[in-house]
Amino acid sequence: MKAAKLFRCLAVAAVFVVGVVGPAQARDLRININADPEMIDPITMSALIAGDVLRNVYQSFTWVDENGKVLPALALKWTAHPDNLGWRFELRPGVKFHTGRPFGAKDVKASFEALLAPGSKAGLQLQYLQRIVGAKDVQDGKTKDLAGVKVVSDLVVEVRFSATDVLFPIYPFLFFDTQVIVDKGPNWFMEVSAGTGPYKFAAWRRGENVYLQAFKDYYGGAPKIDGLRFIVVPSEETAVTMYEAGELDVLMVASTDLARRVMRDAKLRAEAKTVSAAQITYLGMNQNLYAPFKDKRVREAFCISIDRDAMTRGLFGGLAQPLYGQITPGIPGYNPAVKKIAYDPERAKRLLADAGYPGGRGMPPLRIANLAPFRNEVAYYADQWKQVLGVTVDLDIMERATFLRSLNAGETPFFSWGWTADYPDALYYLSQVWHSKSSFNRARYSNPAFDALIDRAQVTADDPTRYKLYHEAEALLLDDWGTCGIFVRTNVAVVKPNVTGVTLAPMRMLPYEKVTIN
Amino acid sequence: MTAYVLRRLLGLLPVLVAAVVLTFVANRFVPGDPITIMLGDQGGNAVLERKLRSEYGLDRPVTVQFVDYVAKLAHGDFGLSFRYPGVPVTQVIRNALWISPSIAAAALALAIPIGIALGVVAALRRNTLADTGIVLVLVAGLSIPNFALAAFLVWGFALKLGWVPVAGWTSWRHAILPVVLLAIPAAAYLARLARTFMLEVLQQDYVRTARAKGLSERLVVWRHALRNVLVPILTVCGVIFGGLITGTVVIETVFNIPGLGRIAIESIFARDYPVTMAIVMLFTFFYATINFAVDVLYGLVDPRIRLEARR
Repeated sequence: MKAAKLFRCLAVAAVFVVGVVGPAQARDLRININADPEMIDPITMSALIAGDVLRNVYQSFTWVDENGKVLPALALKWTAHPDNLGWRFELRPGVKFHTGRPFGAKDVKASFEALLAPGSKAGLQLQYLQRIVGAKDVQDGKTKDLAGVKVVSDLVVEVRFSATDVLFPIYPFLFFDTQVIVDKGPNWFMEVSAGTGPYKFAAWRRGENVYLQAFKDYYGGAPKIDGLRFIVVPSEETAVTMYEAGELDVLMVASTDLARRVMRDAKLRAEAKTVSAAQITYLGMNQNLYAPFKDKRVREAFCISIDRDAMTRGLFGGLAQPLYGQITPGIPGYNPAVKKIAYDPERAKRLLADAGYPGGRGMPPLRIANLAPFRNEVAYYADQWKQVLGVTVDLDIMERATFLRSLNAGETPFFSWGWTADYPDALYYLSQVWHSKSSFNRARYSNPAFDALIDRAQVTADDPTRYKLYHEAEALLLDDWGTCGIFVRTNVAVVKPNVTGVTLAPMRMLPYEKVTIN
Repeated sequence: MTAYVLRRLLGLLPVLVAAVVLTFVANRFVPGDPITIMLGDQGGNAVLERKLRSEYGLDRPVTVQFVDYVAKLAHGDFGLSFRYPGVPVTQVIRNALWISPSIAAAALALAIPIGIALGVVAALRRNTLADTGIVLVLVAGLSIPNFALAAFLVWGFALKLGWVPVAGWTSWRHAILPVVLLAIPAAAYLARLARTFMLEVLQQDYVRTARAKGLSERLVVWRHALRNVLVPILTVCGVIFGGLITGTVVIETVFNIPGLGRIAIESIFARDYPVTMAIVMLFTFFYATINFAVDVLYGLVDPRIRLEARR
């Protein structure tokens, strides 16, 4: 009897507590991330999840909207130097750091110097500084003063290069108040927030969540919500259920499996946002390692044996678009008029026969390399080549690190792989993946005419002129069947209907600056 | 008794040492290494690779690395994580340290009374409908994998009824489903044991004597039979607790709980050697301590075991 009474009391108490504590924090936007951020420090920043979080805390000269348009952020105006070896930036007035200090030209210089300082372990941004005059001296510890960056006035800064860098204004820098290093020491980033973005770093509970708090003095206007909570949810299944139960406001969809599931569920699909990712997927055909690939007809035959429409519909449930060129939509420099690659089995057969391999006879053994998560795609290709060309291509499913190492070493005759843009410009694809001098030219494609066009583009500061060069170079590459674009994945995120202002872009989420929760 | 405890305590040391050596060796011989993973798109960049290898001390012979590791360990230094640059291992696992043992302890605390009650009831009503019903439930509880049961309970109690949250670890409400789920197979196992022990005890002479001298059935069960059932049950609890701690690996993943189990999985995939080592050592330590406690308990309960050990 006593026990029953006690139990009843407890039950009433529990209901009371649940009712009062209930679902609080309604004004935080809750977003899933599938692992802890790798780092929370703008200097070492070099990875995806850290980028998703820090994009809301730190900013660069410019940003790019969902349509690939470059817009001013911390710089209002940028002009190329007449000799093409520098840029002059006029910075936005009235910008405050989270620390309360004003942002200005000296902070641009100081941020660069902090990145270059010996032993700084700088991440992604370091590669963007290499052409600045005097960068090496700072890195080698000869001086602390970066000679190539001149503070003209409080809000004007000039950067000089040893070699032209026309894309400098769009690089995703993370400017920060370097005074914090002096004040708080090298691990300052766990204690203070030193960016200029709409949110400031507040707390990171490892394995649980990262919390960013709205920055009231943000120059673009204080965010209308209290903050952003990035919740670490490694299991996608759990993330979906949390979203359905209202424990997440934004569900970031990482895998194609989950994306397909979302699109099959009527309720989730109605709340889903989709956009083409800034990522190409192509076939790499190394002409030095597999003799038949030296023949353009063979390259074309392999490429037109794949039915891109059927594949993106069937294998991806519409969550991918056929890729005909080597630049993705929404990236500055994209050419919407690029020629479609039609699925043409008859022509493919004929081409292969003309090249001396009728019905695939006489082809040396061939393997296509890839990773386990993409084996469905590769199996589809191999099946097409068997059916259309009569060529047996074995699958070579490798371990990731080994695969990448072998690709970079140029030791893989045939592979299917992708390339994701780190900064929003078509040059990222064209120069890194297909220029003969690039270490990421994993198919070891070499075409002097293509190289010459890219070299010219690299010193052309005027955007429309440069984009025209991209288009010419891309057409050259495609006519030569040097590459074989297959598909562009679709980014998917699901957002609760009471949330507005969340924008999914080719390069993942835009900052959650204008978000409201009703 | 003191000598017995000391001897068992000394026996722990070689177990821990073996765990350190085995984990160290296993880590190094798993295909793929942390540096190539860190290199990612830069794979094959020899300059960067050499730099990273020397930074993390992985360019030295494995034996040197091992000696260095053990020497630091002796000073309580678990080293730095590979996955989170510059972050000490202790910081990576600090938040998680008590989560898995707490969930396991709560589950055990829930499982013991339920398990014993079910087992005793089934034994007392042997060969009736109630007994068959209970045994059926027990078999189900033991054989349905807990991730499958988890999906069902989440759907029912979190999504449909909204009584508990789906996942996370911010309030006590988040612990309800994980603890219940973990407790179910443990309770089922305990109930089966309790039923068997109870049936056995009920046939003992002293129970017959108790009945013969006219005690009420309630007194016979509570005072004479149950106490004797509790002894073997409580010693088994040690082993069950060990199983529960490792069982949290699955539960923590499903319910998104930042415990040791989840970190263990993540660090193994990332080849984060120092974190993996520390967690394996902690698990070994938990296991060994529990077995030690059970051994001591045995000794306390049954003097014959103590004497046996001396020989």
